[in-house]
Amino acid sequence: MLEIRNLHASVEGKEILRGVNLTIGDGEVHVLMGPNGSGKSTLSHVLVGNPKYEVTEGSITFNGKDLLSLSPEDRAHEGIFMSFQAPIEIPGVSMTNFMRAALNAKRKYFGQEPIGAGEFLKLLKEKRQLVGLDAHFMSRGVNEGFSGGERKRNEIFQMAVLQPLFSILDETDSGLDVDALRIVAEGFNMLRTPQTSAMVITHYQRMLDYLKPDFVHVLVKGRVVKEGDASLGYAIEERGFDWIREEVEE
Amino acid sequence: MSSLQQYLDLYAAQGETLCGASCGAMNAAREAALAGLQQHGLPTSRNERYKYTDVEAALAPDYGLNLRRTLPAVDPYKEYRCAVPHLSTSLYFVVNDVPYTVQTPTAPLPEGVLVQPLSQADPALVAAYYNREAGRKYDGVTALNTLLAQDGLLVYLPAGTVLSNPIQIVNVAAARADLMVNRRLLIVAEEGAQGVILLCEHADGQSRTLATQVTEIFVGEGANIQVNAVEETTEQHTALDNVYVHQAAASHVSYNGVTLTCGQTRHRLDFRLDGKGADMVARGVVVADGQQRVDNSLVVDHAAPSCTSDMLYKYVLDGHSVGAFAGLVLVEKGAQKSLSQQTNANICAAPTARAFSQPMLEIYADDVKCNHGSTIGKLDESALFYMRQRGIPEREARLILQQAFVGDVLRHIELERLRERLAHLVEMRFRGELSACAGCKMCR
Repeated sequence: MLEIRNLHASVEGKEILRGVNLTIGDGEVHVLMGPNGSGKSTLSHVLVGNPKYEVTEGSITFNGKDLLSLSPEDRAHEGIFMSFQAPIEIPGVSMTNFMRAALNAKRKYFGQEPIGAGEFLKLLKEKRQLVGLDAHFMSRGVNEGFSGGERKRNEIFQMAVLQPLFSILDETDSGLDVDALRIVAEGFNMLRTPQTSAMVITHYQRMLDYLKPDFVHVLVKGRVVKEGDASLGYAIEERGFDWIREEVEE
Repeated sequence: MSSLQQYLDLYAAQGETLCGASCGAMNAAREAALAGLQQHGLPTSRNERYKYTDVEAALAPDYGLNLRRTLPAVDPYKEYRCAVPHLSTSLYFVVNDVPYTVQTPTAPLPEGVLVQPLSQADPALVAAYYNREAGRKYDGVTALNTLLAQDGLLVYLPAGTVLSNPIQIVNVAAARADLMVNRRLLIVAEEGAQGVILLCEHADGQSRTLATQVTEIFVGEGANIQVNAVEETTEQHTALDNVYVHQAAASHVSYNGVTLTCGQTRHRLDFRLDGKGADMVARGVVVADGQQRVDNSLVVDHAAPSCTSDMLYKYVLDGHSVGAFAGLVLVEKGAQKSLSQQTNANICAAPTARAFSQPMLEIYADDVKCNHGSTIGKLDESALFYMRQRGIPEREARLILQQAFVGDVLRHIELERLRERLAHLVEMRFRGELSACAGCKMCR
């Protein structure tokens, strides 16, 4: 599904990614771990085409397409979704209108008619219930006055509505209490299919327990320095990152 | 020769003709206006309230006046469409500066309510109010209007009357040659009267037009008046619009001004809260691009205790447009328990657009609560990216964010149908589908 080759990227002239290689196949869940500042969020933002980040070298292929040549919106239409670490508040734009605009833009991209009003409301209701968001959130501005936990649930709700092929969860678990984390993780698991994949950035074992990832990658100083299965994640939870740093230096 | 001189010369030559078409109260005010103009002249950029509008340049073209009081040979009721869907109004037209009286509106007025040309109204009633508020302090534009205006409209709501339908007044500037129009509007709402007034400003754009308009609104004790002013003119049109509002005790006024398209516009809005517990709200939306210039200059004078004022103005400026906002809240000595809130926010959608914002407070009482603030910035880039990540194309995302920005002002408009209509017009404007005055046959 996704192939990242020798990816270098910088933000405000400072190089953050220094040759990332990563392959993610259909139906796989990959967890990305690494100390603060290692480039996890940068990699996420580069994948979704945030104009603040500049790719200086390397390539990203997504289902055979050159991802770097696509605009952020076309990447979204092609099936890439990011759950933001800090979801943005958009006062005055209701969740309903926001989701309708997003959904219809995707349908237009694939030459489909806009979604009917009844069908749309039914879809919102179904997906809301999946993550336990009350109906009144739909008439509020996007993330306007949402608590930290509500914002994260809202990200998974949007993911459920847009049904992406590849999802990036950038610390979606941070700031959630145990119940909210369970709801979010279970919601995410329900959306999994043999065709959909995900890259999950997390620091917590609990998330590993819920997601049961196929692979764990460790990013240090802008490079993937260690890869393994879920057991690598538990090892980091127990021992921290220093032993990996030492291994790399050797 | 200054721009003013040509109008003074014109008055010297045609003053008699001009006075011939007008009522006594209008003629009686001319002498003082002339003396003021001779002594003080037109405002220059040194005048704080005219810093961003060059009146001298605006008046420089050799505009003609409609001395013959002719009307274009069209029936505005048939040719003109400025309707708000599902909103029934008592509709009146002023074509250039001539009130159109060939026909009366479909929705009848309640007993005692008058909408009449000043030239045909009760002279004593007009004389009791005309120029009373506008003439208090010298303003060059008001003085020029007072000198040259030939007619205008009176809207009179006797004590206790409640308008069932809004009164809609549509001003049209339509001329084949460069034309200056000088209009007056006198709104008198006596004690306890209630009503909504809708003012629509249009221009046909065939040639250059300049409209000076002086509006005086007298709001009696406990009266409640809403004014909604919508401007949809062309790049060929200049508007110099001075509004004076006098409020008695416990009266309420809300004034919503929406500038959708224009050439150059300056609104002066002066509110005098002259009785205990008077309350005013002024809100504005400005959408400008190209070479358009929009300048709103407000003064709210808290002259009595326990009055409240609330101002919210939002501008979205694109292209090479210039937007200016100045708001002064003056709390006079003794105006204790004054409450005031003033906000101006601007988005410059292009780096070539310019915004000037100047909220001011002048307070001479010690038990008051006054807030003011202003912002000038770009659209929120992180919100824009968030929307694009969800698949909303950049252009659409910008549009949605701009609409939400001004929607924050429009949502306060009390009249639901009008609120919906304006939201629709603003959306069309942002989409570029409302380039100039698309509403009617006459303007097309």
